[in-house]
Amino acid sequence: MDEPAVVLHVLELHAYYGESHILHGMDFRVHEGEVVALLGRNGAGKTTTLKSIVGLVSKRRGSIALRNNELIGRKSFEIARLGVAYCPEERGIFASLTVKENLTLPPVTNPGGLSAAAVFELFPNLAERQHSQGTKLSGGEQQMLAIGRMLVSGARLLLIDEPTEGLAPVIVAQILTILQRLRDQGYTIVLVEQNLRFLSSLADRSYIVEGGRVVDVFDAARFAANIPKVESYLGI
Amino acid sequence: MIYGQLLIGLINGSFYALLSLGLSIILGLLNIINFTHGALYMMGAFAAWLLLAHAGIGYWPALVLAPLIVGLFGMVLERLLLSRVYRLEHLYGLLLTLGLATVIEGLFLNEFSAIGRPYPIPRALTGVWQLGFMTLPIYRAWVIAASVTVCAATWLVIERTKLGAYLRAGTENPALVGVFGINVPRMVTITFGFGAALAGLAGVLAAPIYQVTPLMGGNIITVVFAVVVIGGMGSIAGSILTGFIVGLIEGLTKSFYPEASSLAVFILMAVVLLIRPTGLFGRATTLTSNAGASSHAPPVLSGPAKAYLMPALVMTTFLLVAPAMLYPAFLMKALCFSLFALSLNLLLGFVGLGSFGHAMFLGTAGYITGYTAKAWGWPPEAAIAAGIGMSMLLGAVVGFLSIRRQKIYFAMITLALGELVYFFFLQIPFSGGEDGLSPVPRGRLLGVLNLENDITLYYLILALFLAGFFLVFRAVHSPFGQALKAIRENEPRAISLGYDTDRIKLVAFILSAGVAGLAGALKVFVFHIVSLPDVFHSTSGDVILMVLAGGVGTIFGPVVGAFLIVGMQQYLAPLGTWVMVVEGAVFALCVLSFRQGLVGQMAKILGRPL
Amino acid sequence: MTTQPDIVLETRDLTKAFGGFTAVDKVNLRIRRGAVHALIGPNGAGKTTCFHLLTKFIAADSGQILFNGRNITAARPHQVANLGIVRSFQISAIFPHLTIRENVRLALQRKQGWDYAILKPEAALATLDDRADELLAAVGLTEDPSTIGASLSYGRKRALEIATTLALEPSLLLLDEPMAGLGREDIARIAELIRTVSRDRTIIMVEHNIKVIADLCDTITVLRRGRVLAEGDYATISQNPEVVDAYLGGGHG
Ligand SMILES: Nc1ncnc2c1ncn2[C@@H]1O[C@H](COP(=O)(O)OP(=O)(O)OP(=O)(O)O)[C@@H](O)[C@H]1O
Ligand SMILES: Nc1ncnc2c1ncn2[C@@H]1O[C@H](COP(=O)(O)OP(=O)(O)OP(=O)(O)O)[C@@H](O)[C@H]1O
Ligand SMILES: [Mg+2]
Ligand SMILES: [Mg+2]
Repeated sequence: MDEPAVVLHVLELHAYYGESHILHGMDFRVHEGEVVALLGRNGAGKTTTLKSIVGLVSKRRGSIALRNNELIGRKSFEIARLGVAYCPEERGIFASLTVKENLTLPPVTNPGGLSAAAVFELFPNLAERQHSQGTKLSGGEQQMLAIGRMLVSGARLLLIDEPTEGLAPVIVAQILTILQRLRDQGYTIVLVEQNLRFLSSLADRSYIVEGGRVVDVFDAARFAANIPKVESYLGI
Repeated sequence: MIYGQLLIGLINGSFYALLSLGLSIILGLLNIINFTHGALYMMGAFAAWLLLAHAGIGYWPALVLAPLIVGLFGMVLERLLLSRVYRLEHLYGLLLTLGLATVIEGLFLNEFSAIGRPYPIPRALTGVWQLGFMTLPIYRAWVIAASVTVCAATWLVIERTKLGAYLRAGTENPALVGVFGINVPRMVTITFGFGAALAGLAGVLAAPIYQVTPLMGGNIITVVFAVVVIGGMGSIAGSILTGFIVGLIEGLTKSFYPEASSLAVFILMAVVLLIRPTGLFGRATTLTSNAGASSHAPPVLSGPAKAYLMPALVMTTFLLVAPAMLYPAFLMKALCFSLFALSLNLLLGFVGLGSFGHAMFLGTAGYITGYTAKAWGWPPEAAIAAGIGMSMLLGAVVGFLSIRRQKIYFAMITLALGELVYFFFLQIPFSGGEDGLSPVPRGRLLGVLNLENDITLYYLILALFLAGFFLVFRAVHSPFGQALKAIRENEPRAISLGYDTDRIKLVAFILSAGVAGLAGALKVFVFHIVSLPDVFHSTSGDVILMVLAGGVGTIFGPVVGAFLIVGMQQYLAPLGTWVMVVEGAVFALCVLSFRQGLVGQMAKILGRPL
Repeated sequence: MTTQPDIVLETRDLTKAFGGFTAVDKVNLRIRRGAVHALIGPNGAGKTTCFHLLTKFIAADSGQILFNGRNITAARPHQVANLGIVRSFQISAIFPHLTIRENVRLALQRKQGWDYAILKPEAALATLDDRADELLAAVGLTEDPSTIGASLSYGRKRALEIATTLALEPSLLLLDEPMAGLGREDIARIAELIRTVSRDRTIIMVEHNIKVIADLCDTITVLRRGRVLAEGDYATISQNPEVVDAYLGGGHG
């Protein structure tokens, strides 16, 4: 069977915060159009992995290949222009910008980015508050804004850190639908997420991260059949 | 008469607006209070003058060339130096630019001396218009028109394009803005260059009106700071409008009450801060935001109280025997400045509050002590107590006005209030104006000890120094000190734990003012005189340098720093104006590559708190 | 009108508008002493704003807040905290460059009333270390107490925040999404902790994790667009069609 092309290939990735060595040889690959999840306990290094990819952790070695481009050694803004969008855990909404300004902040780096109007259609809550200061939004609204903002640059590779945190169940369901739709539209997504039910209907592959490296991997079928095993990795 | 004054006000306002606009943009973008702004303005004027004097290039080409030169210079400055401090606590940026401004102004002073140089009005703009109620010199009309146009155009570009959003977002979280695909460093350099060019342009416009002198920047910069505070920091339109308003108000005061005209801006600022702490056009910030991971520099190594015992003994022993080796006058001066530096370090190192007008406490205590001792014949102990008391009272007032504002704003407000105090002592008759208050008799302590004897005075000062040292040490290593650290780290969280943070900060501020007051009171007796330099902002700068050179947030650093800098000043005195250059360079160097200071560095090497 | 003794906190027509937008609209809450009371609702319903109002971080436009029958509408935020109403933040709030022990100790020393103890030696603080370490252990922060707060991962920062909040032994604890960002094992641990500490105090919590709410809370108030939509125990609430529609969505349970 013909596999789709590898979009992102992380190989033997080590990363450091100052002196502390956090990632100890992360290895995983993401194919075109896939949704890949990183799972693991608090402090396992999931966020650090995403930050290393977008260049927010500068001290890293190993290899991060985005199609034919090596990302290690590149600056964040160059990485972004290669078509990578990132939604941080703490959401990164700017207090000095209005909701609308936050949304339209990322320059369009690739064709096919959503317009502000299209994002407001996805999240009607935001439309109503578009002239408020960004951080005056409720926690959940900020999360929606952060997800919406990823879609305006037209990047096809989305790195999303804990998108359902702090969202009401109805909204979680809505985000799930949106991510599924994005997958169907051919976006490639790397997701850090703790909500297993959410993942089971979304992820094509899930990597278990522990102590800064991948210790196991489940494809969708194996994931569904082995929920107890996954849970035991997460310490339940 | 009144129209004439208003016109002068409007002209000044034009320069304030141009300068505060550039300052605001840089402040908004880099979160750096750009002290070099005055120097850049002066360089613009000099560029025009040099172009004319040495290359025969006239006003119109200079109007383009000079801002270009200054802008390029700004970009080089930003790339080579400022960019190294972005990751640090914002105060370091302020300190670095302060050092650089001193170097630039010192160099120009050496080269061109303080003499003013006239610059001719371009032929096309000479002459006047008769308006009936007044005569309007055409050049002045041109300056106003040019300033308004440039300000409005800049405002439009920033507000109406995405540039403004990039700039604001870049201030908050440059790393994240980079992740969105924006080349933040380049954007920063260009913007800084633009802000510098605006200052350069103001300089060229000013050349035909004022004399071109190396001092022209230093004279205007504190007023411009006040304008930015009044306008509300972060508001571009606010600083433009306020620039003109302040100019006009100054003009009005000049015609009704000329003595107060230099004070007017600062009084206006105090009033605005009382009524609208965010400034006229500033956005209100609520308490609800909270810092998850802030950009503080990690605090220095600290340890349990007993770890400091040995070094304290060494210090005390040295000071006890020092008069055998060193001049008492030098030692006494150094001890006074040590106390002064300790008081500043209490705020800067342990609460994260950079007080940039700290000389106001030194000077105020000095004047009160000096006056009560000289004019009323008070004994030294009473005069000192009066000085400290007044200084603490001033501390309460200044603290009340400034304490609610965070960090960098706090720095700017204290600086401007310090300026207010300076002008107050300049104007008030009892201070002796430019001559100062002298001779102040040392008198007899408690009617017994004759302080006219240098050695007696030295040991009195040493005793009081040790008391002050212990007080600051204790305050830092107490539950109170711990609460201060909590506030520095995350104020909303401290409040939610039940700390009355405003009051705790105010107490720290008053305590600091008290110790600074002690230093000022003692200093009067050492020199028999108190004069304007004691309240001037250069003294505030000196004491910051002492703390920085010794080690911010260390226990012994301020003392070591004070000895170092006082010694250096003494040693370099024969060099004349070069002292300024050397001091400024030391300042910049400390910020760039020696941030832990001497004592901080030693603590690191020895692996123990000092 | 008098309040019954078993009501700890009562709000009367609490209202707050931002510009023209009413975030909290005539909310009347009555919190029973000893209860674990949940405040739930869709994103932007006004839950966090309610917390800001109750702790005076934001001043209400109108309405009253009564704590143990006493009107605290005009109190200042730190005074509210000292009356025993302590909150956690929705986005984790710690003192990043202090050690985790110092973080907790700051709450403990507050209770000692040492805010202005300028001359008290630091050694006095060491007497609080044992209690601080106990609290750290209780939330599962078993690392070296001299670890710097900033180096913790997000989830563990939350645990630290909770330990600090508990150190104040508040009589009324306001928890804003205590589980957000926590891994499953930590959720279980913190839930257990909340259950334990709820024995001698009242808790109001905002949370989107329905399982936690169902397990822990006796009473649930549902807000929508700043107004109270429904109130009751989990069984009642989860059957309410309006709540299902506005908040829970179809697939919960
Ligand atoms: N700025 C930092 N400095 C030092 N250490 C850090 C820093 N940020 C994270 N760490 C450490 O790196 C490790 C991995 O953190 P990371 O944030 O990647 O974890 P995570 O898997 O995303 O956890 P969580 O589920 O809690 O978000 C943790 O042990 C954490 O303590
Ligand atoms: N300071 C403010 N200025 C303007 N609007 C605000 C402000 N604070 C909150 N809002 C608005 O009020 C509404 C309620 O916000 P709140 O934070 O209370 O929601 P919440 O119920 O806590 O939601 P979530 O579950 O997403 O955290 C939101 O629509 C928000 O945008
Ligand atoms: Mg994470
Ligand atoms: Mg909320």
